[in-house]
Amino acid sequence: MKALTANRLDDGEVVFWKAGQWVERFADAELFSDDPTGEAAEGQGKSQPNTVIDVYLIDLIESEGLWAPLSYRERIRALGPPNHPGHGKQAEGGAAIEALMHATGASRSTGRVNLIKRK
Amino acid sequence: MYQYDTLDKEFLADRAAEFKEQVQRRLAGEITEDQFKALRLRNGLYLQLHAYMLRVAIPYGSLNAVQLRKLADIGRRYDKGYGHFTTRTNLQFHWIKLRETPAILEELATVDLHAIQTSGNCIRNVTSDPYAGATAEEIDDPRVWSEAIRQWSMLHPEFSHLPRKFKFAVTASPKDRTAARVHDIGLVVRRARDGTMGFEVIVGGGMGRTPYVGPTIREFLPANRLFSYLDAVLRVYNRHGRRDNSYKARIKILVAALGADEFRRQVEEEWEKVGPGADMPDTEIARIRAAFAPKAFDTLVNRSEAFETAKAADPAFARFARNNLKPHKRPGYTIVEISLKGIGDTPGDATSDQMDVVADLGERYGQNDIRVTHEQNLVLPHVKLDDAPAVFAALAAAGLATPNINLITDIIACPGLDYCALANARAIPIAQDIAHRFADQDRAELVGELKIKISGCINACGHHHVGHIGILGVDKKGEEFYQLTLGGSGAEDAEVGKMLGPALPADRVTDAIDTIVEVYLRERAEGERFLDTFRRTGVAPFKEAVYAEAH
Repeated sequence: MKALTANRLDDGEVVFWKAGQWVERFADAELFSDDPTGEAAEGQGKSQPNTVIDVYLIDLIESEGLWAPLSYRERIRALGPPNHPGHGKQAEGGAAIEALMHATGASRSTGRVNLIKRK
Repeated sequence: MYQYDTLDKEFLADRAAEFKEQVQRRLAGEITEDQFKALRLRNGLYLQLHAYMLRVAIPYGSLNAVQLRKLADIGRRYDKGYGHFTTRTNLQFHWIKLRETPAILEELATVDLHAIQTSGNCIRNVTSDPYAGATAEEIDDPRVWSEAIRQWSMLHPEFSHLPRKFKFAVTASPKDRTAARVHDIGLVVRRARDGTMGFEVIVGGGMGRTPYVGPTIREFLPANRLFSYLDAVLRVYNRHGRRDNSYKARIKILVAALGADEFRRQVEEEWEKVGPGADMPDTEIARIRAAFAPKAFDTLVNRSEAFETAKAADPAFARFARNNLKPHKRPGYTIVEISLKGIGDTPGDATSDQMDVVADLGERYGQNDIRVTHEQNLVLPHVKLDDAPAVFAALAAAGLATPNINLITDIIACPGLDYCALANARAIPIAQDIAHRFADQDRAELVGELKIKISGCINACGHHHVGHIGILGVDKKGEEFYQLTLGGSGAEDAEVGKMLGPALPADRVTDAIDTIVEVYLRERAEGERFLDTFRRTGVAPFKEAVYAEAH
């Protein structure tokens, strides 16, 4: 399972793709169960360079019955900085946030690695 | 402190206006991200994990109260009410919006602050001694030379596109508080036997992926020949530095590849060509020097009754005085170090309210002079001993009186993966965990001087290579691990730390530090700091103890 992420151009906010729109919460993100669908969305996302930057796919794992980013880097992006629990999206709390916080998967997202290589 | 003139002020306002137009064009889609990125980085604006980060230059770590209040105000209005002081004595805001950045730069310009040359392959902010002008140790005021270097390097057309970034440190005391030997160029003010002032010139130190303690390439450079010599060093680097590989592009790689003798020969040859015409006129140095003229200190006696009485009455103040107050060159004065390492806090972070408190104290008790240290603390360099109890009380009320300067909880940590797009692992929670473990101040004082420095990646913003204990975050198949090094020093006895052994998972780091400290306490001889003991015993007893479980 994958999701598509980026940073919004005008304020840097972490955003996720959902059916042609960019949303702020990972819990609202569209999930891609197969590569072609995700890659098609990635192509669409990258065609919006004046809305978002650094568009890439992230790998997901299951956590507490919900999906969470596999890499802790992406969980930190989805939640906010661990040193300030009141900052970022983690401040909202709730089951979706808890599931992200409890996720323990560990690997790099292939989409991110590709982005680094491209740079 | 140095005051900008009308031209300087107009330039900063123009620069902010220029960036405003560039941001508008980017948001309107008239320029691409690739085109814009180079422009925003020239104004210190990075994209990090959660938002943009703006790195504001604090030249040689020197601020006045108005400037610090402005930083507090920007933190409150454009960020989340805080800022992060860095190992380059800059201030970073971590929650910046691109669309608001032009307004921030306009506001900074009103108090002579900016974010120019805080990014990119240019000459960055100069590090200097935070005790400058206050310590009796110094041969000269290093701020004079730091400011002259700032003026020389600011928008220098020849040195704006170097192979890689370039960092200076300038110190004039035998006790090095600038990490001069691990900078691209470290300048140490020296006085010749005949009284002539000059510099020991150290070139090619650095940390990052390939750490080096820089060799001295000139034992004594007459002060009036500084800038022609710097021209020569930078020209040799600009010509031969590796532009094909960013990992090998710093001057340290060039110096190491050529060898110090050959590098020196090439610099001297180039210096002959440059000639004294490139030196800054004595009159200009004198003009800059006048801006740092000695303060009008009151004539006081060494002993302050108010200070002694407060120490006797309040053990907390006595402890603060013991650890955070440093000797001043004038009788009756002291240097106050303000720790930004409260137990469990994020190293280097200060809230906007705390910045306001320090600004007020600097204005009221400290001759309107505030410094930032490369160890991520603040300094009020000129406080009367009589006023020290009042300063302590105000700091304590603001959560800024942690009495741990140079102790085990005075930890340097980069923002790490909590914020930074380059990081492989978090640095902040490791620092917090270690600080909690050593929160007992009696134990911390028993351990004595012990500098822990933590970086979240090999770029070494947390100076881990020169920590007495260095901690480097690494990514092992997607998991946070930490590599420990021991015996590093960024001071006058600079040394790169030695690897202890295999990297440890996050939950074993603090236990390992505890073990290392226990080995030190067991092994130390009378009067030895951790570093001294380590240098005597070598890594073996520490390694054995930390990895005992694995055997």
